[in-house]
Amino acid sequence: MFVVISYDVPDDKRRTKIHTILKSYGQWMQYSVFECNLDSTEYAKLRSRLAKLIKPAEDSIRLYFLCACCQTKVERIGGEAVRDETVFFV
Amino acid sequence: MGTLYITQDDSFIGKTDERLTVRANKQTLLDVPLIKVDGVVVLGRATVSPAVVMELLERRIALSFLTSTGRYLGRLEPELTKNIFVRSAQWKATLAVSAEQHAPSEAALHLVRGFVRGKLKNYRNSLLRAQREFPELQLQSAITQLEQAIDPIDRTNTIDSLRGLEGSGSAAYFGCFNQLIRVKAFQFAGRNRRPPTDPVNALLSLGYALLRHDVQSAVNLVGFDPYLGYLHTQRYGRPSLALDLMEEFRPLVVDAIVLSAINRRSLSPEAFVAEPLSGAVSLTSEGLRTFLRLYEQKKQSQFKHPVLQTQCTYQESFEIQARLMSKYLMGETEKYPPLVLK
Repeated sequence: MFVVISYDVPDDKRRTKIHTILKSYGQWMQYSVFECNLDSTEYAKLRSRLAKLIKPAEDSIRLYFLCACCQTKVERIGGEAVRDETVFFV
Repeated sequence: MGTLYITQDDSFIGKTDERLTVRANKQTLLDVPLIKVDGVVVLGRATVSPAVVMELLERRIALSFLTSTGRYLGRLEPELTKNIFVRSAQWKATLAVSAEQHAPSEAALHLVRGFVRGKLKNYRNSLLRAQREFPELQLQSAITQLEQAIDPIDRTNTIDSLRGLEGSGSAAYFGCFNQLIRVKAFQFAGRNRRPPTDPVNALLSLGYALLRHDVQSAVNLVGFDPYLGYLHTQRYGRPSLALDLMEEFRPLVVDAIVLSAINRRSLSPEAFVAEPLSGAVSLTSEGLRTFLRLYEQKKQSQFKHPVLQTQCTYQESFEIQARLMSKYLMGETEKYPPLVLK
């Protein structure tokens, strides 16, 4: 599943933590916006890690699911390029 | 899912959260989530942190070490699977029919026939295709020779004779391999290795080393002992079963990439350097990147599996063939079908 995740967290420390976690599951596209391509196990893991961390009273995380056909309709003007995941070189 | 190739010398592979980070010269060169990685290949020297070793083993991601020229050194691999039945079937198949005669078991013979038939038929098909596309090539005699090697396979009852058929078939194929290269700057006189002394051989050797890495992973994943083969004899440290299963994939994967890399001019003669004394030819780091990318793209390209009738990638087909082999050895199927593509 393709998930767009955005978050709004006033506390700097918690926000950095959320950022680090999300970086392990997807790609950072904009400030507070990530795009993740996950299977259901990975999604469950991510969700539980985030749920443990945040304070629901102050913070909010929104997860938008895109279906396969909407995913191809995403348009981009400038900004971060989508990572090529077929092969990684150093 | 992709493979991570590390060609930067003296880089450090570390772990932050659930990501692999590669650092060199105090800079982070790469930061990639572990869920996107299904294999790590180190070419040259690198430091691997203990945390990464643990994490790779836990996630069952294989880590292979190659020299910077692509020679296989070894790998870090998760535990063999606990499925002892597959391995015991594999061992049983090597036992002779009776103690006095050295005749191979029916299963071993059948598998070797499959490997040799798969390889030679793929050789033949690739020559036939080349002949169709370029009618001016002189491939007919090699094709006839290959046919003559394929024809008696099912009637041959010793593994040594099958090795002979494989040898004569391969000789016919490599005898006309030079004609498949349509760029003047590259010439292929014959197969040479350890070390390869011309660019084409260097590419073939590197490709086979990479292919072995992948096939051995598949063989391990299914639960076989990679060191016990049927076509390749037992030798200390030789992953014979991986080499056996590799045979049918050689022309399909590696030879195809090498030819297309040269013919489509993805690699030029400038992408190679020769060592002055030994004459060993290898790729420059830029050329290596190009070749690795081509290899990875090929592995992830899809085709329709002729037996299962489903779409799969070459990467998946390594495991599918290993599973078909285990099904045959465990007596669940009558035959082992080698992967032959038109």
